[in-house]
Parts: sequence; structure tokens; C-alpha cells
Amino acid sequence: MKGKAIGHLGISLCCVAAAAGIQGCGASNGSDKTEIEIVQYKPEAAAYFKTLEEQFNATHDDIQLKISSPNDAMTILKTRFIREDYPDIIGIGGDINYSYFVDAEILADVSDYAGLQQIKQAYRDIDEALELVPTEGTYAVPYVANAAGVLYNRDMFAQHGWEIPQTWTEFTALCEEIQSEGILPFYFGFKDTWTCLAPWNAMAVSLAPADVTKQVNRSETTFAEEYREVSEKYLDMLQYAVDDPFAYGYNDACTAFARGEAAMYPIGSYAIPQILSVNPDLNIDSFVMPANDDAQANTLNSGIDLQFCVMADCKNKEAAYEVLDFLLAEENLQQYIGEQISIPCKEGDFTLSPMLDGMNQHIAEGRMTDYQDHYYPSEMAVDAQIQTFLLQKDVDAFLQKFDTDWLRYNRDIIRMVQEYEKTHGN
Amino acid sequence: MKNERKTTFLLITIPILALFVCFNTIPLIRGVIYSFTNFKGFGTYDWVGFRNYADLFSDARVGKSYLFTFKLAVVTTVVVNVISLILALALNSKIRAKSFFRGAYFLPNILGALVVGYIFNYFFTYILPAMGAMVGSDSMSKSILSSPDSAWIGIMIVCAWQAVAMNTIIYISGLQTVPEDVYEAGGLDGATGWKQFRYLTFPLIIPFFSINMVLSVKNFLMVFDQIMALTKGGPAQSTESISYLIYNNGMSGGQFGFQSANAVIFFIVIVTVSVAQMKFTGKKEEQL
Amino acid sequence: MKEDMIKRKTNWTAMIVLILGLSAIAFPLYMTIIIAFKQPAEMTNSVGGILSLPKTWSLDNFREAMRVTDFWNSLKNSLVITLLTVALSIAIHSIMGYSLGRNKGHSKFYSFVYLFIVSGMFVPFAILMMPLAKQTAELGLANWFGVIVLYVVFYMPMNIMLYAGYLVNIPIALEEAAKVDGASTWRTYWKIIFPIMRPMHATVAVLTALAVWNDVMTPLVIMAGSDQNTLPLAQLNFQTQFGTNYNLAFASYLLSLIPILIFYIVCQKQILNGVVNGAVK
Repeated sequence: MKGKAIGHLGISLCCVAAAAGIQGCGASNGSDKTEIEIVQYKPEAAAYFKTLEEQFNATHDDIQLKISSPNDAMTILKTRFIREDYPDIIGIGGDINYSYFVDAEILADVSDYAGLQQIKQAYRDIDEALELVPTEGTYAVPYVANAAGVLYNRDMFAQHGWEIPQTWTEFTALCEEIQSEGILPFYFGFKDTWTCLAPWNAMAVSLAPADVTKQVNRSETTFAEEYREVSEKYLDMLQYAVDDPFAYGYNDACTAFARGEAAMYPIGSYAIPQILSVNPDLNIDSFVMPANDDAQANTLNSGIDLQFCVMADCKNKEAAYEVLDFLLAEENLQQYIGEQISIPCKEGDFTLSPMLDGMNQHIAEGRMTDYQDHYYPSEMAVDAQIQTFLLQKDVDAFLQKFDTDWLRYNRDIIRMVQEYEKTHGN
Repeated sequence: MKNERKTTFLLITIPILALFVCFNTIPLIRGVIYSFTNFKGFGTYDWVGFRNYADLFSDARVGKSYLFTFKLAVVTTVVVNVISLILALALNSKIRAKSFFRGAYFLPNILGALVVGYIFNYFFTYILPAMGAMVGSDSMSKSILSSPDSAWIGIMIVCAWQAVAMNTIIYISGLQTVPEDVYEAGGLDGATGWKQFRYLTFPLIIPFFSINMVLSVKNFLMVFDQIMALTKGGPAQSTESISYLIYNNGMSGGQFGFQSANAVIFFIVIVTVSVAQMKFTGKKEEQL
Repeated sequence: MKEDMIKRKTNWTAMIVLILGLSAIAFPLYMTIIIAFKQPAEMTNSVGGILSLPKTWSLDNFREAMRVTDFWNSLKNSLVITLLTVALSIAIHSIMGYSLGRNKGHSKFYSFVYLFIVSGMFVPFAILMMPLAKQTAELGLANWFGVIVLYVVFYMPMNIMLYAGYLVNIPIALEEAAKVDGASTWRTYWKIIFPIMRPMHATVAVLTALAVWNDVMTPLVIMAGSDQNTLPLAQLNFQTQFGTNYNLAFASYLLSLIPILIFYIVCQKQILNGVVNGAVK
């Protein structure tokens, strides 16, 4: 009697399990359409990709496109990779994850993709530079870039007759002037540690070599040497910032800037939508961080915000390329950069958002350098180290720790680079 | 007859144990295997032997996270259990609007991490300093989350605020096993208030006390949500809990292998602590 | 009759403690509600601004939140997963707790199994995540059913501990009486012990339901790419790295709070109806 009951329980559990299993496997549809699945990591652009998906499917009978824009896409992608359930195309940023994915050999070489020729050389170079060791192929098609400098309240600047500074001296003079008029120059949201990286990157591109991390990996220099000026100037900025910036988060800073509590906010263009949500009428513009005293040496901090990679596992590369063509079509790209206030990676006549006016010249001339933190391993938590440094204000201790930690967190990469250079006789 | 009882117990235990092994022990073993590699979470990896474990003991960040986590766990456990015992006794006594109060005190446990994080961030950043300024206290007029010395207190408060509900529920269900006649008998002997609690109620709910102690210590040692919601490990990396490091560097970062090693050590530590706890309270149970 | 005997005065000390403590809950709740009704443009950094009432009491945020999260669909998924997990947990964990609780005192084997399972509680989820993602996919369980199976395993240690703890206060004499009447152990359990543990079932139901209801990681990792959302998963849509719509998010959280609150209120009555009182002695 009792045995039976347990048996029943067991059998029914097995049945449910089996049923669920079958349901899980039977999901493929019977038509002969090629299915292309894209997972892209910018949920804020979900609506844009939804419309694109519908448009594409309405105009193509042979390909069924599916774009998902999940939150926490990196976790989702990584768990899908581990169960070898690859989408066809992934939309990710040009950061260290991309470097790792190239290294893991899960991306397909797209150097035969015709559309690649229309991508600006500067951004193709950035992708090449992101590879841990140089490879033969090309593994990503850059889509849009963002830029980080200083956002400013255009109306407030016009009202007081302040001008966009071109050099570090002009910049600090401007801060003094703003402060003397009883206005707060900067707001910071350092409680969210990642925001500590925004001014850091924006200054580092003009003050340190673009390939500083690679130079360190080849033991040609140290961070103590290359990052000293950035660190010191960062500390200088603090005196013009809100009191106790570590108390406020990114959101607080956006709200404060939107409400006119500060004249400037050194952060990337990606913050503009959040600021406008609080105050849609705010007149924002941005300028390049004038970290250097030589105006010509100041370069715009711009990196690839979204790029598409075809997975090595993709069955139908032709179809994937057709989808990429569609995504890169001028009118679609224009719509994206309008909505997300970004910079297109494709050559052509695009209209940039007026909120990037102050950076226009650098963008047009291609005077742009990638984010330094795209080369930092995230587990090293450089953002938190910078936060610690800003709290303790000890330049030497910070840089020394930076150097030792770098060797520790990157030793596998350094070894790989050294082996590569040995075999390639560099 | 005796055999029938034995076989029934075995027939119950074996399949459920098998289920547990299949979805807990086996994946754990797989995880332990990763701890001997430099696996990033995807792609290829190499065997690195005990390197991850050796690194673990020389990593100042890991050491700091253990100190922080234990400090937080001990303090929060004490605070939570004192408050929830008082609440459970109050909620279990003869009061009006009992259902309302029980519902209300349960609420903190259901509010999602985003809501709790936002509200308490606001509270610590703006409201508490404003109150501090009103009282004229300098130390209180700064956000406690912005200083590496005091940020853990903010985390402790939020952890306690959320956890009290669960501990209270367990204490209340424990109080249900105390027969009313114990109180009646005690009442005749003149045992009231503290004495009644100390000598009549408490001994009877010791199993629940020990469950709560074990669960609290475990939950707070594994604290993660509150850290993510409040400080993300800051300021100055002063509130990085062990789970935060394991998750953040292992999953989001590329340190899956190393953090697996961290997780293995953490697992051993936490089991040791809990077994010691259970042994200790088990002895107390026997004494009474 | 018993009611009359123990009728005591309202305990005013307890009432005062409870009312004072209530402020710690009322304040955050008040903030949640007003933020859920406000518009993003009403958000400020000043204390007065944040505590003020919204300009209009419009349900637009709630409507929009329901649309963004595909509320009814996500709610259905969350309900199915939560209720099935709770039902399976009560059935499986209680009998396992019974089996282990009654034997761990005198059998090395059962005491080992008890400690083995309870120690499973301390395994950090992060270490299990990757292997589980792989394993569930291999078994064809990368779906809502797999999530339920995992929950039943995850909460087994805590629930078994609770059940075993509760059994300490249930006299074994009860079972022996039934056995004399010739009932099998299996039957005795379901007829006598299972109903007696009702307060604990309710406790387990509340704790398990709550943990499942709010959990993000398990469905995120296991159901990734399956197009099925639970409520917490859908709510992730409100926050991105560079912008969070707190107003919609708070409205959505308030909505998802209601079902679990109702569930709790129903269950807590059961926790109250302590059968042990009187019935045992």
C-alpha cells in the first residue's frame, strides 16, 4: 500500500519531467525560413530594435529575425554560452568582454562582410586593439559609439558668458569663476563607483598613451609613471565638486544637474536621457575634457557602445550579413543615434544630436581615443580603486597598488602576450 | 512491524536524497572542479592546480571581505534576533488588530531590493543628515553610507529591517508549540514577565531559537542583495561581502575559476560555523 | 470553554511596542506609494520634495508598468512557479523532515543524511550557477519546470530543518497509538502527523513562497532565452546601467506585492491555529 503510493508519486514526477522535457525540445518551427536570433545588451534601446525586427520580418520572406534586448544580457549570454546555446548575432560593447570572447574563439571572422568597408577606420582600429593578441580576422561590426567629456548647462553658460575651455588652465580658471559666482561647478555621483571612471577616462585619453595597458603588459612602462598626472588632476577637480560626493549616486547627480544645481557634470553622453527624464527642458551640450594644457593634444574619449558579432556557431552567415545590412541601413542608424544620442560608426552624412555640438569638431576630425577602462579587467575593480583613492587622496599608494594589482589580475594575459611575441619574433 | 517502519523511512529518504544529490551535490562537485582552472565562465581554460587556493590566502581584498562579512553577520544576527523575539512575543500576546500588525510587520520582507535600496539610500543620503543637522550633531549630518567607517552600519540596518519579518514568523510558529497550560501553571506560581519568558517560554522554543540563529548567521554571511542595493561594495571597497566578490568577479568578471575556489573555502567556513552552532545549541537543548 | 479560561486583558505594553515599531515600516511604505504615483519630473533631491504628495493621483504609472512587464502573463508564470514549488515543498520536505527528524537521534545514517542536506543550505549559489545552467540544459529542463525542481532542492535544507525542529515538540506517543491500531507508518504520517504540522506547513509555505516570488537569479540563469518572464524578471526592464525609471518600477513592485501579501495573510491564520495547543496533552 505505502509502496504503491510512493511509486505513484515517483511515476507522476517522472511524467511531468518528461512532459516538460518534450515541450522544451519541440519548440523549433516547421517552416523552411532561416531563423536569425540577435541578443543585444542595451535594454534602453529595446523599443528601437522591436520596430526594426517587425520591419525586417515584414519585408523579408526567407529570414525570420528575432531580436531580444534582455536586462543583464551579459549574464544571460554567459549562461547560454556555457550550455552551448548560441544566438546567431550578439550586440555587445567594445570592452574587455569582447576581448575575452575573441580569445575564447566563439566569434566568427567577418572580414568577408562587405558592409565592413563603410565602417570608420578609427573604430575598426579600436576593435583590433581590443584583441588580447593580434589575430588574422575581424570579429565585430561597430555600430555606434558614445563619448565622454563634460556635460554643461548651456543656458547657464550663455547667461554668465562662460566659454568652453580648451586647455586645463582655462578649465580650472572657469571653475574658479563659476565658484566665485556662488554656483557649484560639478556634481559627482561617486557613490555609484562606476561613475568614478568617467572623468578618469576622459582625462586619461589626453594624458596617457592610448595603448598604456599594452605597454605595461610588455613591461615597457608603469602606471605609476603614466597615470600620475591624471590622478593629480582628478584630485584638483574634487575641490570644485559638491561636498562629500561619495554620498550621492549616479541618479542623484543626474537629478541635481537636471535641476540646475551644478553648471557641469563630467559624464558620458549616455547620461543625457536620464537627465532629460527629470527635466525635459534642460538645454544640454557637452565638450571634450581639456585635460592637457596643449589644446591640440586633447582628444575626445569615445568608444564603441554597440557592435554586432556573428557567432562562430551561426549556421547561415549569408542571412546574418543580410540582417547586418539592414541594421546598418542609413535611416535605421540615423534613428538610433537620434534616440540614444550616440555617434555612428559608419561613414556617411548623419545628423548628430545638438547635445554633442561642443564635440563636433573632434568627431569630424576623428580625434578620438578609446576608453582606457575597456582594457581593465572588471574583477580588478579599478572603479572602486579610484573611489578609494579619491577618498584617501594618496596618489603614491594608489598608483603603487594599481601596478601590483595589474600584474596579479592580468598575469594569464601577460603570459599569453609574451608567448605570442616570442613565437612571432616581435 | 519494526521492519515496516524502517523500509518506509528508507523508501522516503532514498529518492529525495537522490534528487538533492542530483541538483545540489553534483553541480557543487562540478563547481569544485572549476576551482582548479583559470576558467572565465566561457571558452577554453587551463588547469592551474592549487594556484587559485594559494592566491586566495594572499589576496588582501578577499581577507578584507571576510572580516567585513563576519562583523556584519555577528552584529546583525544579535540585533535581528533580539528584535524579532520581542516582536514575536508581542504579536503572540493578546492584542487588538492582530492580523493587521502581523501583515504590516511582514511587509519589509516582500519589498524588492530595488525599492528597499532606493528608499534607504534616500533615507541615509538626505533624510538622516537633515535630521542630524536639526539636532546639531556633526557626525550625523553626513551620509553614513559615504564613509568607509560607517557604511557597514547602514547595511546592517537594512539587513535587519528586512530579516526581522522572517525570524519573527519562525518564532511565532515556535510559540504555537508552547501549550497554554504551561502559562497557566506558571501564572499560578507567580511567574510573570521576564521570569515567565526566561524559565517557561524560552526553554520550550529553543529549537526555534537555534534554527533562527543558524539561518540568520547563514543569511548574513551570504549577504548580497543589500550590498548590491545600497553600496555595491563601496565606499573604498569597505563593504564588499564574500558573496558579492564571488558573484561580481566570478560571474560578471572573468575570475570564475578563482572565485569558485573562494566559494569552496567559504562553503567550508560557513558549514563549520553552523555545525559548531548546532552542536552548541544542541547541548543547551539537552540541558533543559 | 478554554477561550474563557485564558481570556486576558489586552496587553498594552505589547500594543505600544508594536505601534512604535510600525513607524519603521510605515515610512518606507509611504515613500514607495507616493513615488509610484509621481512622474519622473517630480523627483527631486530635497527632503521636502521627496516627501510631498504627488501632484495628481493618476493610475497611469500602474497602467504603463503593467504594459511594460506584460503583467498578466508574467503574473501567471510567477504564480504557477510559486504555487507548484510551495505544494511540492510541503509534500516532499515535510515527509523528508519527518523521516530524518524521527531517525536522526538514533541512526548514524539518518543523522548523516540530515547534516548532509542541511549543509546544502550553505553552498553559495554563484558556484552552482554555471554547472546548473549546463546540467538543466542537458536534461531538457531549461524551462519553468526546471526552475521549480531547483527551488524544491534549494529550499529543502531550510524546510527540513524547520520540520525536524517542529517534530521535537510532537510526542512520538501519538504515532505509537495509531500503530497499535494497525496503521502503516505511511498512513500514520498522512493521517496524524501531517495534519498536526499545519502551523509549520503554513510557515514553510510563507517562507518558500516569499523566496521564490522575489527570486531573480534562478529564472534568469535557467530560463534565459526561453521568452518566458516571471514578474521579477520583467521588472528588470525598469533599470539599466544608465537610467532607471523609479516611478514605473515602484508602481510595478506595489502591484506584485499584493498577491504575496494576500497569500501571507491567508497562511498566517494557519500558523495561528496551533493544533498542538491542548490537542496533544
